[in-house]
Amino acid sequence: MQQAIFIILALLTLGAALMTVITRNLLRAALWLVATFFGIAAIFILLRAEFLAVAQILVYVGAISTLIIFAIMLSRGIMDPDQVRFNGQWGVVGGFAALLFVVLAVIVTRVPWPAAAGGAPVGDAPADAIARLGAAFVGPYAIPFEVASVLLVVAMIGAIIIARERE
Amino acid sequence: MTAETIATAQATAAASHPYNEVVPGAVLEATKTGLVVSPDRIVELARYLRDEQGYDYCSMVTSIDWPQYFEVVYYLYGAATPKDALVLRVRLTDKANPVMPSLTSVWRGADFQEREVYDLMGVRFEGHPNLRRILLWEGFEGHPLRKDYKEPYFEEESKPFKSRHPDGAHQWAEDRVPWKDNVSYPVGWDPDLWRSPEVQYRRIMGVDEATGNGDGLRTERILVNMGPQHPSTHGVFRMVIAVEGENVVGLEPEMGYLHRCHEKIGERNTYIMNIAFTDRLDYVSSMSNNLGYVLAVEKLMGLQVPERAEYIRVIMAELTRIISHLIAVGFLFNDLGAYFTPALYGMRERELILDLFEAAAGSRMMCNYMRFGGVMADLPAGWVERARNLVWNRLPKVMEDFENLLSGNEIFQSRTHGVGVLTAAEAINYSMSGPMLRASGVPYDVRRAEPYSIYDRFEFDVCSRPEGDVWARFRVRMDEIYQSLRILKQALDGLPEGPIMPPGKKQYQVRVPAGEAYARIEGPKGELGFFVVSDGKPNPYRYHVRAPTFINLTSLEKMTLGHKIADAVVILGAVDIVLGEVDR
Amino acid sequence: MDYLRNFFVNLARSWTAWIGGFLPDWGVNLVNYLVVGIILVLMPVIATLTLTWMERKVIGRIQNRIGPNRVGPWGIFQAFADAVKMLIKEDIVPSGADKPVFNLAPILIAGAAALLWAVVPFGRGMIGQNLNIGALYVVAVGSITTIAVIMAGWSSNNKFALLGAFRVVAQLLSYEIPMVLSIATVVLVTGTMRMGDIVERQVAPFIVVLPVAFITYLLAAAAETGRAPFDLLEADSEIVAGYFVEYSGLKFGWFYIAEYGNLFAIAAITTTLFLGGWRGPFVSVAPALGPFYFVIKSVAVIFVLMWIRGTWPRFRIDQMLAFAWKVLVPASLANLLWSAIVLQIGRQPEQLGPTIVQMILLLVGNVAILAVTGLLLGRAARRYAAQHGWAGA
Repeated sequence: MQQAIFIILALLTLGAALMTVITRNLLRAALWLVATFFGIAAIFILLRAEFLAVAQILVYVGAISTLIIFAIMLSRGIMDPDQVRFNGQWGVVGGFAALLFVVLAVIVTRVPWPAAAGGAPVGDAPADAIARLGAAFVGPYAIPFEVASVLLVVAMIGAIIIARERE
Repeated sequence: MTAETIATAQATAAASHPYNEVVPGAVLEATKTGLVVSPDRIVELARYLRDEQGYDYCSMVTSIDWPQYFEVVYYLYGAATPKDALVLRVRLTDKANPVMPSLTSVWRGADFQEREVYDLMGVRFEGHPNLRRILLWEGFEGHPLRKDYKEPYFEEESKPFKSRHPDGAHQWAEDRVPWKDNVSYPVGWDPDLWRSPEVQYRRIMGVDEATGNGDGLRTERILVNMGPQHPSTHGVFRMVIAVEGENVVGLEPEMGYLHRCHEKIGERNTYIMNIAFTDRLDYVSSMSNNLGYVLAVEKLMGLQVPERAEYIRVIMAELTRIISHLIAVGFLFNDLGAYFTPALYGMRERELILDLFEAAAGSRMMCNYMRFGGVMADLPAGWVERARNLVWNRLPKVMEDFENLLSGNEIFQSRTHGVGVLTAAEAINYSMSGPMLRASGVPYDVRRAEPYSIYDRFEFDVCSRPEGDVWARFRVRMDEIYQSLRILKQALDGLPEGPIMPPGKKQYQVRVPAGEAYARIEGPKGELGFFVVSDGKPNPYRYHVRAPTFINLTSLEKMTLGHKIADAVVILGAVDIVLGEVDR
Repeated sequence: MDYLRNFFVNLARSWTAWIGGFLPDWGVNLVNYLVVGIILVLMPVIATLTLTWMERKVIGRIQNRIGPNRVGPWGIFQAFADAVKMLIKEDIVPSGADKPVFNLAPILIAGAAALLWAVVPFGRGMIGQNLNIGALYVVAVGSITTIAVIMAGWSSNNKFALLGAFRVVAQLLSYEIPMVLSIATVVLVTGTMRMGDIVERQVAPFIVVLPVAFITYLLAAAAETGRAPFDLLEADSEIVAGYFVEYSGLKFGWFYIAEYGNLFAIAAITTTLFLGGWRGPFVSVAPALGPFYFVIKSVAVIFVLMWIRGTWPRFRIDQMLAFAWKVLVPASLANLLWSAIVLQIGRQPEQLGPTIVQMILLLVGNVAILAVTGLLLGRAARRYAAQHGWAGA
């Protein structure tokens, strides 16, 4: 039963992801991306990770996709959004995409997944799952967590500098 | 004397005119009704008059189609320091192709008015920045105010038409005249090749007229059509706005959707028919319109108005001002998004005043109350008591409510301070009038500068604010309501008994001696002027309305640039336009 | 009588027992899920039918009018007449519209409005799903609305709609932050994200304990749902109707349902978070009173929002964003920080909800934040006025 739902969700998510890449219309591509995010959120729910699912919707659907769409709407030719799919850099980008795929494939196959050995999680997640997640962020995973925040600060400062230069 | 000697005599008389010493050859002739000016030197003369002589305010521009020539008339006043009218007349003898230089470089306020003259009379103004048709559309053939113009379904030159009841039965002119014979397009006009907005509005889109390229490469400008079916344009007004994001970078007002060629119909009408017709100009304040028109015709006829009628006229005019300002303030809040509440509170008081109008004139909005020499009917019994109750008890309380609920609102203050600023010099140059002019710090009020009727008898203050923004316009209107109440109190106290019309038999056909008269009053929305030329016939030879809100719109682009779209709506709301008057 | 005291829960028990008599267990669950689901999906529709009437009546009274009074007694069936009108109207799709996106947007926005109801606790145990992340769920579902509004604005091929969509992004993203911060304050104080438990642990209504969080939440929620004075998304005097200007008929109806569904939902969530939810006198004796208290409190919140709509002008977009970033965000951040400090003082293990001392300390801090904010705002306004030489401002 769960397996069937997972397969359906995975197919939907992958299909939406594929549409994101191959759609001509830039704004529709962004909307397909939103669909992809929803699919991922559904898979999180299937894994009993409700917090991650909701965070996925809140951050990726609510904030990131919105900003992507906003950027598209602010760029030129919004009323005529059929864009050329390839620009001069498609070869380089293709190379990097292939590289990324190889790296991810290696990681997925090499890393021993401890939870996977026991099969899919059964029953409800523990009641204090969110509390434990929070504790983990400030405990064992404090350094990755802080590095991520530093990265975001850097990105924000960069954005401010770019925006200032234009004036 | 032969014609030649007359011409020489005139030339010598004009040559000695003091203005000719500064601008040689400018004044061709000094007549009773103004200076006849050479079209070649008029720009120089105008600049001299504005800078040296204090005629900084170009109040009215109009034109007359005489058999031998077109005459363009400029009425100049002083606004910074009040001066009596100076009239410049330019005679263009080339009737096939009348051309004269534009005075927009001297007075920006001449902009829309010269476009109107071009549109309706066909006089071309060289050097005008945007000489397009303004009230009529591009597919209209001819210039309707010319005397040789015949409209579709033309019947006769002047009313009353004999043709309407040929055999004692009513007949529509439309049934007699087939459509196809009457409507014609300009040569080469094809409705299918209507110019696209991108071409028509190149100026505000920042696109170069000649090359078709612009500096619009950096950020994209979007052309937004606000109106004619937009809830906040107060009717069928249209603003074409170029925006970058939310910021307005260009604006072009488009009007004429309600145009009915008021002036042409006015020339077909008899004099008395036009009184009812002026009601339809600014349909919120029909009493003021009546008053302005009858004053102009009374000037021509030399009529003496009885005392009681003068008082009644002032009472009606000031009640009208209160109505107009209440509505202006209420709907300004509507434009700010206050969802009708202030507007409806204004409407409630308006209903009470309209009750008074109905009791006196028989009609609430289209009052048709003033007559040449007096008013149509005397006030009914008990009218004065009702008016007193309103003026002494009710309206002051309502104003207190308005002050408490509206003036102090933080959102309102933050939305209106510093929005749509016009400096005093700009306001004068753009021929702003009424509350718009006074909100820019120019205490100019026709009631004080050139008192008409019996306004010189009343004590009142000319309300003025230095800021020149939307807040100041709101404040001036509120303050003027208090002043109107003050005048009303004096007028209601001083209202004498007596006749309301001059002695003599009432008549439907008045005799108006040949001549020309311009009467202006301080209408609620600005300086409302009526220009009447009579040739002694039962119909006016030329009838022109100086519509205050039409001319106040000249500065709309100037006020709006650099603000947000939301502000554009508010700035337009603070101009307080009425489309019946703008489009005429 | 005992049955009536806990009427709704007992009703549900009897119903389950009754259908349990002829259905297997999974069948009972399925039927119950369906029934609850249908009720929750219908909530926005019910809210629309009642609230449109209420809004027209309330605003009518504010404006010296009677409001609807023709269809039924006091015009209460006006909304039904409007609904029928909307259903039989022609459905117009503008030429040049992106059709799939155009059609999807109203469904998505109404769906999001319905989803919110899953975590609203109408009474003790009367909650669609007492999610362990309920409070976060509320915010997440709200962000779906953003996407739907952008879809509607962009796909309509109308410049007013596009301008509305532009405004949506700026407005909704900015106001999400103070909203999340004020919800986080409540979550911090109660120590749970379950909406049901938040009510259980709310000994005193948080409106008196955390007034700053309450005001911030109410303003941010009004902005999120586009209520006055933050109704810039649909500002009819500026951009006509904003993002849904091109919609007609039933699709317009969906937007309408979403608007009023969201209005009731934010009132319900405000009630849950700050007004003590279904708590009230005698609820411990007769839990069936809970839903009534809940609805009465929600309607009071709605009335305040309608009152604001009837009386206040609208903000301009730049003022509105400045208000979010310069006033609401710092104030709610300070509030969150103060709450965290207070909760560390005298913290007991296994503590559920704040103690009396903590509540008093929280209140003191909130009042201080309010005072400082007011002081700074007033001074800034005076300085600004002095710079621009405005007299009498």
